[in-house]
Amino acid sequence: MDSMEMNHSLPFDADPIQPAAAAATGRRPDSPQFTDDPMLDRLYGVTLALITELAVTRTRLDTVEKLLARRELVAGEEIEGFTPDDSEAAARSRLQAEYLDRVLRSLD
Amino acid sequence: MIYPAPWHTIGRHALLPAAQHDEMARFDMVAHLNAHVAQRLAPKVREAYESRVLNAWRMRQGHEPADRHEVAAAMKQDPAYRAFSLVRRNTMEIRQHAGRTLVAREAERLRAVAQAATEGAATLRLDPKLNLPRYVTAVDTHLMQGGYTAERIPADVSNAANYDAGMYATIGGSGGPWNDAAGRALVAWLKRHHPRFSPQCIVDLGCGLGHNTLPLREVFPDAAIIAVDVAAPMLRYGHARARARGFDDVQFLQADATATPLADSSADLVFTTMVLHETSRQALPKIFAEAHRLLRAGGLTLHLEQPPYRGLSAFEQFMRDWDGRFNNEPFWSALHETDCAALLAKSGFGSANVFESRCTAPPAGQSADGDEQQEDFGRAPAWYAVGAWQAAKGIAADG
Ligand SMILES: C[S@@+](CC[C@H](N)C(=O)[O-])C[C@H]1O[C@@H](n2cnc3c(N)ncnc32)[C@H](O)[C@@H]1O
Repeated sequence: MDSMEMNHSLPFDADPIQPAAAAATGRRPDSPQFTDDPMLDRLYGVTLALITELAVTRTRLDTVEKLLARRELVAGEEIEGFTPDDSEAAARSRLQAEYLDRVLRSLD
Repeated sequence: MIYPAPWHTIGRHALLPAAQHDEMARFDMVAHLNAHVAQRLAPKVREAYESRVLNAWRMRQGHEPADRHEVAAAMKQDPAYRAFSLVRRNTMEIRQHAGRTLVAREAERLRAVAQAATEGAATLRLDPKLNLPRYVTAVDTHLMQGGYTAERIPADVSNAANYDAGMYATIGGSGGPWNDAAGRALVAWLKRHHPRFSPQCIVDLGCGLGHNTLPLREVFPDAAIIAVDVAAPMLRYGHARARARGFDDVQFLQADATATPLADSSADLVFTTMVLHETSRQALPKIFAEAHRLLRAGGLTLHLEQPPYRGLSAFEQFMRDWDGRFNNEPFWSALHETDCAALLAKSGFGSANVFESRCTAPPAGQSADGDEQQEDFGRAPAWYAVGAWQAAKGIAADG
C-alpha cells in the first residue's frame, strides 16, 4: 500500500501498525510473539491493560474520596448504599462499555 | 525503587493536550510500568542469564555466546526475558493508545491553537512539495501509528501532541518538565569543553518538536537558530510550542536533513539529538555530508545518541537492542553497530578532527552552565556524543 495514502486516511482509533504483515499472519499487526501460544500473548495484553485501568480507577476513586473527606461531605456508608438514577445509570453503562473496548483491545 | 515524576509535573504550554483525570492517571501508570520494567524486571533478566541461561548454553555449545545474536538465541525461551518483554512491549502499546485517545479528543482545538500561532509568523516555513523519505513515512516509529508525517485531518498536529504528552510518561519525566535533557546536556558539554565557542548560526537537523533546540536559544541569545525536520505536523506543533513558551525567533524549516535548502558554509553548529537511530543506512552518511557542507571553518557538528555497541558485553548489547527488535525502531541495531566517528571522518571532516565524548544533562531547573560533576544519584540522563570540527575546507579531507 502507498504509505502516504495510508498515513492520510489514518483514523484515530484503528490499531493497525503494519497492515500487510497483519493480513499475512492473521495476528495483530507488528505484534511480536513472546510465548509459545499466540493466545497467551493476547492474554498478557489484556492483563496489562487491565492492570493499568484498575490503577486508573483506584486513583480516581482516591481523588474523589479525598475531596469528599476534605469537605466532610460523604461518609463511607453512603458510598456503600448508593444507587444511580436512570440517567446516571445510562452514563455508567457507556463508561463500562468504553472500558471494555480499552482493556480488550488486544483481542481486536 | 526510583519513582517516575507524575505526569501533572510536565511543563504547561498552550499546545499541550489538556489531559483529564483518568488520562493523567493512565500516563502515570505507563511511567510506573516502565519503572517496574527497568528496576524490577531487567535485573531479573540479567540474573537469569548469569545463573542459568549462560551455563546451559555453554553445556550445549561448548563456548560462551559470541555476540548479541547468540545471547538472543540463548534467551529466547527464558521466562524472565519473556516476562520483561511482554510487559515492556505492552506498556509501549498502552502508552501509544493512551496518547492517541487523548489527542483524538483534542485534535481540532490544538490545530486551531497552532494555526493562530502561525498567523503572520515568518518563522515557520513548510514545503508541501517536499519529497518525504520513504523510510520516515513507511515506519510507525516506536509504535506511533502513522509515524511523524501522518495527518488525520488537514494541518494536523495530533501525532506531535501525542509525542509531546506521551514522551513525558515514557521516560517518567526524566527529561525535565520540558523534555529537553538532551539539549541541556549538549549546552552543558559546550560550556564545559569549549566555553568560548559562540556560534552565530545553529542548525538542528531532525528537530522534531524542538524540545532540544530551545535550550540553545537560552545560552546563545544572539545566534540564528534553524530547526529542520521533514515532518510538517512536528514542525507546526514545535513552532507553536516554541512561541507559546516565548521563543519567538527560532526558525522551523521543513526540509530533508540530507539535502537542506540552506547555503554552503553558513552555520557554526550543526547538531542532532536522537535522530541518527531513526535514519536509514543510506541517509546517515548523507546527513553527515550535509553537516559538512553547511559548516563554516571552525564550526562544529555534534550528534547525541545512545552509545554504540562496540566495547559492550554481548549481554549488554542484547539488552540495549530490545528497541530494535520489539519497538519498531528498524534502524536502531544498525546505527549502534556503525562507527559514526569513522563515517564523519569520511564525510569530509577528516579523522584528525573527529571525536567521541559523553554528555550529561544538569538536573532540570538548574542553569545549563551549572556544574556537570554534581552528584546526580544516577538519575541524570546521559548520552554518547560523536562530532567533528570543520577545518578550513579542502585541508581536512584526508578521509
Ligand atoms: C526521535 S525524533 C527526535 C526529535 C528531536 N531531535 C528531539 O531530540 O526531540 C526524530 C526526528 O527526526 C526526523 N527525521 C528523520 N529523518 C529525517 C530527515 N532525513 N530529515 C529531517 N528530519 C528527519 C523525524 O521526522 C523526527 O521528528
